[in-house]
Amino acid sequence: MSIIDYFKPIPTMNVAQVRELLSRKDPSEYNLIDVRQPREYERAHLPGARLMPVAELLSLADTLDPNKPTLAY
Amino acid sequence: MLSTAGFREVYSMEGGMRAWDGLAATGAPDAGMSRFPEEAPVEELISLAWSLEEESRKFYTELPSLLSDQDAVGLFHDLVIAEEHHQSMLADLGRRLTNSAAGAAFSGTGTPGDVMEGGMKISDALNWVRGKKLTDVLDLAISLETNSYDLYIKMGRRGSDAKAKELFSLLSAGEKEHLERLAGLLDRKL
Repeated sequence: MSIIDYFKPIPTMNVAQVRELLSRKDPSEYNLIDVRQPREYERAHLPGARLMPVAELLSLADTLDPNKPTLAY
Repeated sequence: MLSTAGFREVYSMEGGMRAWDGLAATGAPDAGMSRFPEEAPVEELISLAWSLEEESRKFYTELPSLLSDQDAVGLFHDLVIAEEHHQSMLADLGRRLTNSAAGAAFSGTGTPGDVMEGGMKISDALNWVRGKKLTDVLDLAISLETNSYDLYIKMGRRGSDAKAKELFSLLSAGEKEHLERLAGLLDRKL
């Protein structure tokens, strides 16, 4: 990873865009990741979201298809 | 982090979960599947799904007798039919995978105490509904269907049987349609 990568803005979607994406696409067409802690996930999560807390994200990333659009929250 | 790990298109949701005002599921990642090991045979997932449909069917069958709104009564009758259709598809695939004869009896794993998806007992849910506003009842149904939708998406990721994946995809699409109908009725009744 280049140091330049640290300065790249992370593309974002607002809630309306997320709602539209989830409505339009089949769940098999995207990765939906909840990067919060398990107790937060248990209280509420987007339907179909995978729990991947930030600290475990890289070790779990190989279970996802990197070619699919990926939405994290 | 993911971008640097080779992910080509990564987005973050502005405001995170706090900003989200849409449908949300509850429970741990394996909620509803906790009695199954990580690599549960697909037959067991189908059997569990059949049981969940059965419990929803029972709930939606009893619910109209507690409601006076005819739009809601009609919708819950439709949901009973939809759950029966889902059960029929699950039973067909279950029989095929277990090499049972077509038309042979198929049943689910059963859940302790008739617990519905989300952990609520059918009897408790029906008692809760008595005297509640229709919008509260619709909110409850939406939360149940959201958890079913969540569960079917997760079941669809498991196993390698293509027919089972296709069926779970159909079921999750069915739950999504139920959610849209329930949310549409809720909007009209607010």
